Amino acid sequence: MVTGSLLLMYLLGLALGATAGFVMHRSDYCVAGMFRDFFLFRKTFLLRALALQLLLTVLLFEAARLAGLLPLFPFPLLAPPSLANIIGGLLFGTGMVLAGGCVVGTLYKLGGGSVLSLVACIGLIFGSGLYAEIHPWWTKVIQATTFQAPTRTIPQFLGISPTLLALAVTAASLPALYKWHRDKLLVRPFPLAGYLQPWKTAVVMALIGLCSYVLVGMPLGITTSYAKMAAMLERLVMPEHLAATMFFQSKPLEVVHPLSRTLLEGWNGPQFDYIWAIQFPVIAGVVLGSWASAMLLREFRPHWRIPPYQFLLTLLGGIILGLSSRMVPGCNVWHLMGGLPIFAISSLLFVAGMIPGAWLGGQIISAILLRQTQAAGTPDEQ
Amino acid sequence: MSNDPQSRIIQVDMRGQVCPSTLLVAMDNLNRHGEGLQSGALKLLIITDNREALHTVPATAENMGYAARITKTTSHYEILIGLPDQER
Repeated sequence: MVTGSLLLMYLLGLALGATAGFVMHRSDYCVAGMFRDFFLFRKTFLLRALALQLLLTVLLFEAARLAGLLPLFPFPLLAPPSLANIIGGLLFGTGMVLAGGCVVGTLYKLGGGSVLSLVACIGLIFGSGLYAEIHPWWTKVIQATTFQAPTRTIPQFLGISPTLLALAVTAASLPALYKWHRDKLLVRPFPLAGYLQPWKTAVVMALIGLCSYVLVGMPLGITTSYAKMAAMLERLVMPEHLAATMFFQSKPLEVVHPLSRTLLEGWNGPQFDYIWAIQFPVIAGVVLGSWASAMLLREFRPHWRIPPYQFLLTLLGGIILGLSSRMVPGCNVWHLMGGLPIFAISSLLFVAGMIPGAWLGGQIISAILLRQTQAAGTPDEQ
Repeated sequence: MSNDPQSRIIQVDMRGQVCPSTLLVAMDNLNRHGEGLQSGALKLLIITDNREALHTVPATAENMGYAARITKTTSHYEILIGLPDQER
């Protein structure tokens, strides 16, 4: 429980982010790519690792809850279920494929030296700021489509114990897990220096999610910080507009952490508050961790000579990601690796939108890439 | 892989490009130049810095009956695709 000390929160976020960035870079643990490549190439290898991570997270979160380590359950900032989760998820799925990575994927790729991921990150900040402009209208959509029952999770909705559902999901997954283990479907021969089998990254990511939830009261999440960065930039260039924008005045986080008795407060605006203290160190950590991984492998080689249309494509993808992550609200890390394991209804709805979104993104990006490649003509010959 | 000096090499530089460019463009070239590659007159050289592509591109090429060889240079990886030795 580190919520009593801001310094400890910063250090913890950096450590968790750096560990995640390092292992994600080593396994190329790209969530956008997992869904995209299932639709484009019928590849399921990395999706199996993700499924393992989610199942482990279900068990770890439930064990921690039973042990009394998760007094905030469900965790704060988790939106009530509404149609916005699906629509936002659909846009998010498309955006993450066009951007070449989800919100965390772009960060570890940026740390690994990808110039396009830097462009996607700029798009993410811009898109998050853009959301503030449509927030009053979108709030009405959310209000009109929020399910009225005051429940956040499936167990709450069904009136059953979360333990029962966690055990049922685990039991239902065991045959698949056994088959993957027996047929060695979670490992692949890949004699690449520094390669980490993705199932190991899945285990590390599940533990990182647990550490975050137990120690700061919520699982990994980073996208509100992009909105805060947009607000910080807006304060520099048009402070009057910032002051008049309703979204940046709102305060999504206000809860006392029962174990540390600390009042956790956070705004969507440019304040350095608890949301910033929880999320920004993770962002910085992921970039630093993957940068360290790339440097140790001597593979940090940013390459700028890229077809110009790809800068536009990833910028657009980043903008859609930023915009949709506020519309949902939340990103794939928050919902997939945090909300889904506690059977949050809004997270299920987000995933139900994100998957067809990734299919759509895959169709768009493959059509653009192939058309541009063929228009560029025959490659160099020697 | 055969080391035929007569083979022309088609070189595609995919460094820094958005995913899944490397695999898509490799597949496109394998299909477009199938005749030359299968006769041994051509080889395909993919230059990349994408670690995942070092698995997916050779796996795809091998599924199509080709051999793939990966070489690491100081700034990138090269995947050379051509006919396997026994078919020459």
